[in-house]
Amino acid sequence: MIAGSRALNQPRREPQQRRENVFKKNCVHRADGGLIAGAAVARAQDSGALLELLVKKGLISDQEAEDVRSDLVKENAGTAAGKLKLSTPLTELEIYGDARVRYEIRTAKSGAPDTIDSPSDSTQRNRARYRLRLGLRGTLVDDWFFGLRLETSTNPRSANITFGDDSSVNGPFSKDSDRISVGQAYLGYIGLRDFTFTVGRMPNPFVTTTMTWDPDINPEGLAEQWKHTFNISSGSHSSASTGSYSKDGTSTVAASQTSEPSTMSIDVFANFAQFVYDDTNPENPVGPAPNGIPQKDAYLLGWQIGAKVNFTKTMYLQLAPTLYNYTGNGDSFNTHFSGDPAFKVTDPTTGVVTTVTPNQTGVNSLLVFDMPGEFGWTFHEIPMRVFSDFAVNFNGDDRAAAAGHPDKGDNRYAYQIGLGIGKVKVKHDWEASVAWQHVDQYAVDPNLVDSDIYDSRVNIEGVAVRLGYAVTDAITANLTYGYGWQIDNNLGTGGVGDAFSLNPLREYQIFQADLSVKF
Amino acid sequence: MKTKTLLLTLGWALFASQAHADRLVIKGSDTLGAKLVPQLAEAFKAQHPGTTFDIAAEGSTTGIAAIIDGTAQIGMASRRAKPVEVGTASGKGINMKPTIVAYDGIAVIVNSANPIKGLTKKQVEQIFTGEVTDWSAVGGRPGKISVYTRNTSSGTYSDFKELAMKKRDYAPSAQKMAGNEQIASEVGRNPSGVGYVGLAYTKAGGIKVAAIDGAVPSVQSVHAKTYPYARPTFYYTNGEPAGAAKEFLDFTIGPAGQKIVGQVGFVPIK
Repeated sequence: MIAGSRALNQPRREPQQRRENVFKKNCVHRADGGLIAGAAVARAQDSGALLELLVKKGLISDQEAEDVRSDLVKENAGTAAGKLKLSTPLTELEIYGDARVRYEIRTAKSGAPDTIDSPSDSTQRNRARYRLRLGLRGTLVDDWFFGLRLETSTNPRSANITFGDDSSVNGPFSKDSDRISVGQAYLGYIGLRDFTFTVGRMPNPFVTTTMTWDPDINPEGLAEQWKHTFNISSGSHSSASTGSYSKDGTSTVAASQTSEPSTMSIDVFANFAQFVYDDTNPENPVGPAPNGIPQKDAYLLGWQIGAKVNFTKTMYLQLAPTLYNYTGNGDSFNTHFSGDPAFKVTDPTTGVVTTVTPNQTGVNSLLVFDMPGEFGWTFHEIPMRVFSDFAVNFNGDDRAAAAGHPDKGDNRYAYQIGLGIGKVKVKHDWEASVAWQHVDQYAVDPNLVDSDIYDSRVNIEGVAVRLGYAVTDAITANLTYGYGWQIDNNLGTGGVGDAFSLNPLREYQIFQADLSVKF
Repeated sequence: MKTKTLLLTLGWALFASQAHADRLVIKGSDTLGAKLVPQLAEAFKAQHPGTTFDIAAEGSTTGIAAIIDGTAQIGMASRRAKPVEVGTASGKGINMKPTIVAYDGIAVIVNSANPIKGLTKKQVEQIFTGEVTDWSAVGGRPGKISVYTRNTSSGTYSDFKELAMKKRDYAPSAQKMAGNEQIASEVGRNPSGVGYVGLAYTKAGGIKVAAIDGAVPSVQSVHAKTYPYARPTFYYTNGEPAGAAKEFLDFTIGPAGQKIVGQVGFVPIK
């Protein structure tokens, strides 16, 4: 009622006053636009300082500033951003994610020492898949940060969902496998200079390659990171702090801090982590009778100390020696690893035939030294890089002996070397890479290796080629081809296969065609 | 005769409606509504005998809400309308129009027996967020600090959070008071008390004002904006006011009204 009567009695001077306000607001907008290239929210909020300055200079009165401020808030309230309410402790929030569709073909051939499948028996898996990841990450007051990412699939090494793989559950186009899981949920603190502390289910804090870690794995536990940049130029040294936390989770690959092409800098970093590998339920430090083997949680411990030497803005060398160790025994991975293929046993008295599947996941006798490295430069403005990884299991002898192959203790090494050309960042960028990889049966943890190129297996070597092209800034197309084969023909290709249960994979091929959108 | 009766009836009805139109409903800030606006209303009524006032001082939030709901002609506020409130108003076709009617300085007060003479901005933040809980940590006598704040509907509550606390939350142990006078009264009774009040409430007994980084709230320091917790106070209306609301607003920001503003303890706009 009051509003209605007021509307009928608007003073005549209002249009003129409104025009003046529009003029002043435009002045503020123009000045503001030069100062702040931000969104409407930022403009409305940050104009306060500019208005204060104009008042202080005597160019406008407090009331005029108030009118402009009020108009800006009204404008902002009408925008999408203005309708979003965020909690006060939040200082920055980012919504991000990606979606990918993929078609892939995998083929495999059987071979010795498989005693069940016929030699050179071929099998093939064609599948269309999709992946969705949706995340929130942000910073909070007092130097805290957090991240949350939802992903399709429950597989730690893949967020892919295969089209039509669940039709038997509820009919065609069933949603049974189309489930959303928590991929990342972590909290961190960066209040101490050069340090980052993270707890939760987090992006991998280590510098790694696909030889030792599948990039889809988000380990759970604690991580402590330190990074410091030393600048070296013309005989003088200086050091600079650089926050080791980056919101995209790629904190461990240091960016060049050099300000001049002739200035060299060294990013020295250390990453430590204590991951809960397998939770025992219930705990029993003494162990149940009669064996008395203790039951306690299994931890994966990692220590990494490395450096990235930025010779110039575009030339760098990074090395990140790392040691991984496992403690405790958990209740799911405490059986000794074998990696051998399944075999059949006939009971001599009953004649019953039983299939025995040796263990493929045990983490016994793993003390792995790993050293990923990368050298990058540009050639005619095209980014180039040579990347490598080398790993050795110091307890390879014990792991081989426990697997029943005491003579195979030398199968403890893994290495990878590759060349990458180009880099996909924005529209029309392209990249190509080729890599050779060799992973012995007892070299690394088979539960962590990449699930695509060599089907989550060890005792396999081969080559992989990848091509990528940015169709737009957000859309990327990728083609991948991999060809691998069994290294030691007397051993299985250990690990739980991603597409095949066949063991060993005498030969293995993979082709993937991807179309991804990133936002 | 019938015609005469009809004219008299119409005349009475017109007079009655006119009298009804001069009833001003004002809601909102306790800082403005507890002292200043009632005195302004009295002075205004002396010049406009037909005008009646209905003043409710229950916090700036209630004043802004009253403009949005159309239940008051003037909303008193010691803070600016929040973007979410402006958005809600716009959605209802309400044009939130602020008019600065006075300036104020939020004074940090302690008990007059407290040896503390001044605090830094950092110390104020630490005290009101609960980071510091003992007077000895800020140069006082050992003893637990009792923090008094306004309640959440208060504009001063929001302003102080923004001006003095970097928008951080108040200490969970802080006791929320309904108005400035209650805070002044509690701090005056409690030797360990600390609170904040508008400039007009610093003359209460048993309290003293703590300088902030050496600056004390005064007409000069508020005008010059050298006092860190200085702020404007507002009347909010739905667009340009009209009728009695406009007359009262003009009176408030006019010479007579601003004289009262100064007398009550606020800082005049000119």
